[in-house]
Amino acid sequence: MICPGCSCLCDDVYIKDGRVFNACRRGREIFAKYSENRTVAKVDGKEVDVDIAIEKAVEILKDAKNPAIYGLDTTVVEAQKLAIDVAEKLNGYIDDNSSFCLGELVEAVLKGELPTTTLDEVRDNAYVLVYWGTNPYHSLSRHLSKYTYYPRGKKRPRGYDEDRFLVVVDVRRSETAVLAKKNARFIRVDDDAELVDSFVKVVEGKAAKYAKDVGVVITEMKKADFNVIFGGLGLKYGLKDLNQFKEMVKKLNEVAPVYFIPAGFHGNMRGFNETLFERVGHVNRYSFGDSKSGEEFAFTELLKNEKIDAALIVGTDPVYSLPFEVSSKLGKIKSIVVDPRMSFTARIADVVIPSAISGVEAGGTMVRSDGVRVKLEPLEEKEINDVYILNKIKEGL
Amino acid sequence: MAMRFSKFLKVEADIIVARHALVMDETKSKAEAVIFLHPEFAKRGGVKEGDVVEVEASGRIVKLKVKLSDKAPESGGVIPNGIYASYLTNFDGFKKFKASIEVAEGEPTIVEELLGKIKGLNFNHTS
Amino acid sequence: MALNPMDIYKLLPKTNCKKCGEATCMSFAFKLLNREKKLEDCKPLYEDKKYERQRKKLEEMLKPLEEATETGLIVDESLCTGCGNCVVVCPVHVEKDPKGAAVGNGPTIDDPILRVEDGVVKVINMQACRRYGKNRVLCVVCRENCPSDAIRFLEG
Repeated sequence: MICPGCSCLCDDVYIKDGRVFNACRRGREIFAKYSENRTVAKVDGKEVDVDIAIEKAVEILKDAKNPAIYGLDTTVVEAQKLAIDVAEKLNGYIDDNSSFCLGELVEAVLKGELPTTTLDEVRDNAYVLVYWGTNPYHSLSRHLSKYTYYPRGKKRPRGYDEDRFLVVVDVRRSETAVLAKKNARFIRVDDDAELVDSFVKVVEGKAAKYAKDVGVVITEMKKADFNVIFGGLGLKYGLKDLNQFKEMVKKLNEVAPVYFIPAGFHGNMRGFNETLFERVGHVNRYSFGDSKSGEEFAFTELLKNEKIDAALIVGTDPVYSLPFEVSSKLGKIKSIVVDPRMSFTARIADVVIPSAISGVEAGGTMVRSDGVRVKLEPLEEKEINDVYILNKIKEGL
Repeated sequence: MAMRFSKFLKVEADIIVARHALVMDETKSKAEAVIFLHPEFAKRGGVKEGDVVEVEASGRIVKLKVKLSDKAPESGGVIPNGIYASYLTNFDGFKKFKASIEVAEGEPTIVEELLGKIKGLNFNHTS
Repeated sequence: MALNPMDIYKLLPKTNCKKCGEATCMSFAFKLLNREKKLEDCKPLYEDKKYERQRKKLEEMLKPLEEATETGLIVDESLCTGCGNCVVVCPVHVEKDPKGAAVGNGPTIDDPILRVEDGVVKVINMQACRRYGKNRVLCVVCRENCPSDAIRFLEG
């Protein structure tokens, strides 16, 4: 089975005698606890039929002056396409978590501004692996063991301590940093921009703050024809301007081949980015009314600035994950939650529509962090899933 | 000199917001009110494992249970992604912010209290 | 975290009375750690009341010995995230399971030493470990690549 728990989309998970094999702790929970905390259809806190809840959702969206569709990172590409249809029909806004997560980096990859590769290529070929502003031990638990540092690869048959060079960049000595021992380097930063600057300067042969660490890393990169940087949220929030980072990767490629893969995020966030990109040329925060993408159209900005009066929230939990100044505004608008779980947001929503868990009770396609498309292998197919619900809403408008 | 009395004082801390696989709940039903403090930082602040601390940032306060972790930043701690971290942050300090910490009486803040604050505005602004 | 003979020694009577059959209390401490001796073999510790407090401390300290496998491996599931680093780095797995654990996947062999089950690592077949039996090698690769100390060995 495919585990939909994070953007690793591990493909070697199976269930036997009621036990889940090979999935990490978080992945296992999705399967083992699939029946816990499930949603029931609700309108204004009262239990109703699913169809009634869907009708009410359609009514709210029709009546709204400025509706937004938000979330979608844990559902399948097929549902994401329908959600975009709904946003277009409404002439509204559409956005996902990537607008405050790694959307900009995915966009740079899709536009070809950052050279990229796949995790399978990394396993077979990569020598220097840089984890920058990410602690996959907790966020993508099997990233190092399944795809990057530990597995033996075609051109890297001798194991991690000889055939790989691990670099971890972080503001703290994280679990991943602890693993940087032999043939490795942990670089502690306060300001990511200074390290970016150091890489550029060292390539140019100039003095730099992190010259010593960076010198070692570049020397190692030059030994190989394949190196890769994994960038996470720490990189995104550590840098004010991602252009500096793009320039740095370009500069590094003057002396050694260096690829980039975003590291972090939900099971199908990249899927959303790619689906919207194919449709409108932008990865997130898009306004169909204005026919453009912009920072001001991020769901968080729209909420904060009170630009929307209704939101259709699919498979995400903004009350849990967004800053209070934003989440507290959710109470001011009409909210519809489509989710298999009774999330914190579902608890305060006007309309709740119960859905199926993608990957467990619903099939479809998800896109791994490196852009590889993966077909889910659910245990069953529930009739009422995100595709069904979004189709109904689309038809109802 | 002030350090000697620090257990009676608020101490400033660097807080990192990060995922923590051991306290995440994939069923979206609960959230653990926990902060992982670096052992050295905790010692300086007179905080012990299992203490409840008041964490204040952006003018908002939550009470969290202390666990010690040498993976936390030496000048503070890690609050796992989730409703407690979200309550304290804003986008300027989404992954990293400064907070003041002091040992507190009583139990950690319950989720319902925060939901109430979010929902409370709901009652104020809708008919 | 790991037990060391010095900490054990400090709590022993340190009289080198030889009642346990060892020449010194220090050598008794080493044997305790290797599970070649039991704490009860130290007679004074149990007979003389003045050692009671030390004895209790030692009993507490040596508790993990009972939980440990024959190779001295202790897994604390509460600390494990199921990252699988230990499964993939294990040299025995690399040799026996070239298409599974060696290339990063879950084990495809029936009797792996370690396997991630229900989200945490479980010891399945300790006999295959290089640390097992008479000709053992003190391999610690699984522990070295466990960043949360979920895997420990008795001797540290």
